[in-house]
Amino acid sequence: MKNSSRFRQLLIGSTYTWMVVLALIPYLILFIASFLLPGDDQLVQSGLSFSNYQHLISPAVFSMARSSILLAGVAALLCLLVGYPFAYILAQSSAKVQPLMLLLVMIPFWTNSLIRTYALVMMLKANGVINQVLMALGLIEMPLQLMYTQTAVFIGLVYTLLPFMILPLYAALKAVDPRLVEAGRDLGANWLNTFFRITVPLTTPGIIAGCMLVFLPALGMFYVADVLGGARSMLLGNYIRDQFLIYRNIPMGAAASVTMTVAMGLMLLLYFFASKRLNREAMQ
Amino acid sequence: MKNIVQAVLMAATVWALTTSALASDKVLNLYIWSEYIPDEVVADFSKKTGIKVNISTYDSNEAMYAKVKLVGKGYDIVVPSSDFVGLMRREGLLLPIDTKKIPHFSLVAPRFVNQSFDPNNGYSIPYMWGSTSIAVNTELLPKETITKAVDLWKPELKGRLIMPNDLREVIGIGLKTLGYSINETNPEHLEKAYQQLQKLMPNIRVFDSDSPKQALLAGEVAAGLVYNGEAFIANSENPAITYIYPPEGFSLWLDSFCIPKGAEHLEAAYAFMDYVLTPKVSAAISEAMGYSSPNTKAITLLPEAMKKNSIVNPSPEMVAQGEFLDHLDADTLKLYEQYWVQLKTH
Repeated sequence: MKNSSRFRQLLIGSTYTWMVVLALIPYLILFIASFLLPGDDQLVQSGLSFSNYQHLISPAVFSMARSSILLAGVAALLCLLVGYPFAYILAQSSAKVQPLMLLLVMIPFWTNSLIRTYALVMMLKANGVINQVLMALGLIEMPLQLMYTQTAVFIGLVYTLLPFMILPLYAALKAVDPRLVEAGRDLGANWLNTFFRITVPLTTPGIIAGCMLVFLPALGMFYVADVLGGARSMLLGNYIRDQFLIYRNIPMGAAASVTMTVAMGLMLLLYFFASKRLNREAMQ
Repeated sequence: MKNIVQAVLMAATVWALTTSALASDKVLNLYIWSEYIPDEVVADFSKKTGIKVNISTYDSNEAMYAKVKLVGKGYDIVVPSSDFVGLMRREGLLLPIDTKKIPHFSLVAPRFVNQSFDPNNGYSIPYMWGSTSIAVNTELLPKETITKAVDLWKPELKGRLIMPNDLREVIGIGLKTLGYSINETNPEHLEKAYQQLQKLMPNIRVFDSDSPKQALLAGEVAAGLVYNGEAFIANSENPAITYIYPPEGFSLWLDSFCIPKGAEHLEAAYAFMDYVLTPKVSAAISEAMGYSSPNTKAITLLPEAMKKNSIVNPSPEMVAQGEFLDHLDADTLKLYEQYWVQLKTH
């Protein structure tokens, strides 16, 4: 028995080491750098300063934050609209089909999202697959302008992030006690009524989890907007990348990154408490 | 735990000592852009001189700059672009180069020597160059629509242009149409260029520095500012896509060999630079990589089709209006950044 406990310690220990070396320490360095100033001779210069954070309070940064939040919010909403019916059908289908459908949701996920974004370019461009099919079918005469539009950006975000929405929704829908739905039906409620008054409220934790899982990564996925949207507007992700790579202002980029992480952390905390409360209410 | 740390430190010291003891001039550590020198050229150099070449690669000036600045040793040759030659020279990150020790240096065209970023070539030896100028798809636009840079502002080009996703190039074209330098530092001139560019924004459909040829070839955009390497490929796939050098001016880039501070194999570095500048080698590199060689003799050895192609080999008169990007001081760069962010956030 002693051996297996040592194995367990090793396993847990290596996970913690991994987290500390590859996540915690780099993040602490970033955090410290955010209070320094860019130097002439070195990449950073010593001395404590809050000026990086003060610089973040500017109309340009607010405008970028607004665009980022709007983009991520709409993407989460679209994912919900597409993902909920899918998860619903998935949860209703036979136990044999379910693993297969889940597998189909997961497979694209194994490919790097940047590569999938470039693959979408091949679909959406003027002489791309979609336009060629539509033209061959005689549905359109001129190619549609799909690339470099807001629509293309949302297609890209929804396509990339949909599994994050489907999986928690599926889990929540599976957990709904079918007897409750049946009871509703027996008491004379039609399908729409049972759906909105029983299924949806019972799956609220799944809806919130899915929205968070889509919204938070979408905030940082500036490259989807760059590649599919034509990079005409600037998002927070662009701003952070440019501070590091173009202006060599590592402290400024670090400050922006830390602020964004803290904001995301707060949202997660909020989600944590909200779901806890929901669970408690459900128990009662 | 302490023992492990000690052991690792000791191993590292032993390794460092042995490698520096082995450091003879029969090795050259070349730090260069990825896919920027043909393997055959390097192999041939090693065969002729007996010098073993260790190649490491980078894909941005910034990455190379950070390594040289923070690590400061281990490389004998780096290949920065003109603005980074300026920056690294001013920061003392480069060792002086004695051009007398490079006999073939005399073959470099006058257009590429003694530039503002490195007067008298005290620190850099030109390797390859190119331009960022205007490509036009003549299938979609009559040829006479765009002959000057200022034509990009024409209202009929609304939503039909592509631009590099690069603040220096975009602000540069604004400055050029107003008759200023692309390395302008005067805040008033920059403000004017910003106002000029605000009017260009409705015409821009895409900002893309990675693969602008895609949008051009797909017909998503009708014209725009692109790197000549991209225009060359687009033009070879669709001859209707032409490339013009506007009379107001445009930006030129030049990548040069430099010896970073901390280099240990100077003789090997000199031998390599001279070898690359021999006409046959320069021509082979230019042909394989598709970029222009600054070597006057090398150009005469290129295949006919490449020699005549004005995208890769413009005549000296064509590029006379071109200007090399130089490094900007921190305050000016802040202004550029501010205007760039304003353009993109309106």
